Amino acid sequence: MTSAATAASGTGTGTGTGTGSDTGTGTGSATGGCLHCGLPAAGKDFCCAGCEVVHAALAEHGLDAYYKVADRVSMGERGPARTTGKSYAELDDPAFRQLHVQARADGLAEVAFFLEDVRCAACVWLVERVPALCDGVAEVRLDLGRSRADVVFDPARASLADTARMLDRLGHPVHPYRGVDRDRLRQQDDRALLLKIGVAGAAAGNVMLLAFALYAGMFGGMAAGQTSFFRWTSMLVAVPALGFAAMPFFRGALGALTTRRLHLDLPIALGILVGLVWGTLNVVRGTGEIYFDSLAMLVFLLLVSRWVQSKQHRKAASAAELLHALTPRTARRLREGGVEEVPLEAIVAGDRVEVRAGDTVPVDGVVLSGASALDAGLLTGESRPAEVVAGDAVHAGTVNLVGPLVVSATAAGEATRIGQLARRIEDEGRRRAAIQRFVDRVAGRFVAVVLAVAALTAIGWSLTAGPRVGLEHAMALLIVTCPCALALATPLAVSIALGRAARRGLLVKGGDALERLATPGLVFLDKTGTLTEGRIRLTDWIGDSDARVLAAAVERGSAHPLARALVAEVDADDLGATDVHEVLGGGVEGTVRGRRVTVGAPPWVTARASVPAGLRSAAEVLATAGKTPVLVAVDGRVVAAAGFADAVRPDAAPAIERLRADGWRVRILSGDDPRIVRAVGLSLGLPLDACRGGVTPEGKLAAVREAKAAGPVVMVGDGVNDAAAMAAATCGVAVHGSAEASIDAADVLVRRPGLAALVELFDGAAATLAVIRRNLRVSLAYNLVGGTLAVTGLIHPLIAAVLMPLSSLSVLFSSSRSRGFRAPRQEKESPR
Amino acid sequence: MITLYLVLPLALLVASGAVAAFAWSIRSGQMDDLETPPRRILLDD
Repeated sequence: MTSAATAASGTGTGTGTGTGSDTGTGTGSATGGCLHCGLPAAGKDFCCAGCEVVHAALAEHGLDAYYKVADRVSMGERGPARTTGKSYAELDDPAFRQLHVQARADGLAEVAFFLEDVRCAACVWLVERVPALCDGVAEVRLDLGRSRADVVFDPARASLADTARMLDRLGHPVHPYRGVDRDRLRQQDDRALLLKIGVAGAAAGNVMLLAFALYAGMFGGMAAGQTSFFRWTSMLVAVPALGFAAMPFFRGALGALTTRRLHLDLPIALGILVGLVWGTLNVVRGTGEIYFDSLAMLVFLLLVSRWVQSKQHRKAASAAELLHALTPRTARRLREGGVEEVPLEAIVAGDRVEVRAGDTVPVDGVVLSGASALDAGLLTGESRPAEVVAGDAVHAGTVNLVGPLVVSATAAGEATRIGQLARRIEDEGRRRAAIQRFVDRVAGRFVAVVLAVAALTAIGWSLTAGPRVGLEHAMALLIVTCPCALALATPLAVSIALGRAARRGLLVKGGDALERLATPGLVFLDKTGTLTEGRIRLTDWIGDSDARVLAAAVERGSAHPLARALVAEVDADDLGATDVHEVLGGGVEGTVRGRRVTVGAPPWVTARASVPAGLRSAAEVLATAGKTPVLVAVDGRVVAAAGFADAVRPDAAPAIERLRADGWRVRILSGDDPRIVRAVGLSLGLPLDACRGGVTPEGKLAAVREAKAAGPVVMVGDGVNDAAAMAAATCGVAVHGSAEASIDAADVLVRRPGLAALVELFDGAAATLAVIRRNLRVSLAYNLVGGTLAVTGLIHPLIAAVLMPLSSLSVLFSSSRSRGFRAPRQEKESPR
Repeated sequence: MITLYLVLPLALLVASGAVAAFAWSIRSGQMDDLETPPRRILLDD
């Protein structure tokens, strides 16, 4: 209790003594690393600016006890803190409140935030202390798994912007949580399933105890009255409990029957139903076998496997949503009074919007003032930035690279080009038919075989031993072959694979995505950002190499992407350029150490300087190779030609080679200039007809649809322009750094850069399907044994009760031995 | 062995009490977040 009192008083009056001593001990260990997070700080007090801000904020608000708490409860999960210093003014905008804030019955309001960097119990402690610091905030509850904080506040008194600023300063940048409705639906599903698991588990345990007594009675002898009592009790427990708990399987089977699709739920529901009805009949008749113990166990195991699988899917899905939440959803609107930050939804056509360098353009519109270059890579796939001046049209979703722009919105939200693309992506996602899952195909044949064998058994035994025996053996067969292990075979293998894949940075949104990837077919790769790094780099330098330093000196002040790429490559001191002036669409001119240096596009430079024939043709060669040529002139004479390009990822060539060796046909589908695409394809060893450039988003979609008629198609990309094609493809894969729309459309998200991850994904999918097949063989073998015993009339409920868990255990063991998505030994990640 | 006829229903009654308690815990949201509460217990207050 004493430390609780200290913590509480820390926020109030008793700040002096308590926090003073804490800070003292903290400073004493400065040599041990960062005062906030404990990481190496190179002799300084803090490892980074973020930690310093958070440390100061903690001291200011008397929350130094945080360090004591963190030392005690965190398990090596602390890391450097990050703050953004944003104003969060948009959170107090009426439009935001309308969208995200929910009124409660008691007059307070509730909002859900997504918080960055919540890791451990100490974060829970810190975040839930916010009500004491912000006026009008009644309660904050943090959910670590979802990184979700529910804030209850008094709408009349509290400012959400203040609250968000406070959380930000404490090292947890805030984003609106956008999955509130989805979360609520999932919660309902989860609760319903959990209740069924509980009921089935209780029934299984109790019925099994009763079954023990009955089995013992079979061998040791038991009074008829007691046997009957135990049988009736088993029935009264099992039938209502299983009738309720097995509802999902009955519903699934009914759905399969009405849509005339084969589904694994069909044989399961058949087995359970026959078992329950037949068992009840036998209890009432007072003779014949009952299988209630096996059935209850079966239902319990199946429900648990569903639970495990859905948890695994949720994890991948919510990780995708986290990425989603990180994309900014605000715009800077210009009004008479100045700039205000408002939610994107509040912008309407006609509004003037400021777009700072580095920001994403939030609307479709026309540039009113300013000049800049826009990166449309994610929207169209073009690798070269487009220059814009007043009067040019700009599109939402492009990134402003150079200078501030003022844009007059012509369309916002759904009406923008990107908004229309998003709708098309959604349509494609809905249209895509679910694949017939492998296990369901097996289940279809399984049902047919079991029913046929059951009919034969019934007829055969009826002819030789009478209809009663025939019916008994046929029913036993239907119950014993209820495919428990078969139903576990896929979820177990898939859950283990998804968990391992997530640890390897591959987020697979559903188990069927793995099946979609397991058989080689056609794979379309986007170029910009997927095969290449998605940013311009200096790749060629022809001519006087000393001129590099001069060129870098005049380019140093420029924000143009080509200039930045050049400066980044030159590792020399700044020579200091004077008299620099930049011409948009042309280049830069300036004086360096008395020499006049001109750097820019070939037409602009040749108009100002004389060009030797060699360098002129060099520039042309660069252009035909798909690179952006730049000429460098010194004192009126061109001395060098530079080539810039979006460099191909170093692991792209080996990855493509592996894919082709595994039987995949690889094609490039890009929105970029066909010349650039061909050059990239050539460097990766792809034939020219496999490289298509200049493809619009609609064109990509059409290409995927067309190819899909011939076989499975995988679309790998990163941009909004790939998203519709991803949604239409058999399987869509979004690579590291993908646009929001692609993250939504893709079945798999790759969260680490490079194409090696792609190979691992395909390999892992194939390995997982192999395990599924092995599991199916194992479970079918057990069914064959049980079925044979039933057909020959040798089956006994006790054998069934032993066979079933045994087969499930074998499947579990087989799944855990999967080699899919295992970390390669040499590059095993060190624990944090 | 006559006690069986009394004890067995009694045992089942206890079991159904446990199921009811589980149902209540689910309804009141105790199973919604299985990650934070085990950490929260480490905090004193």
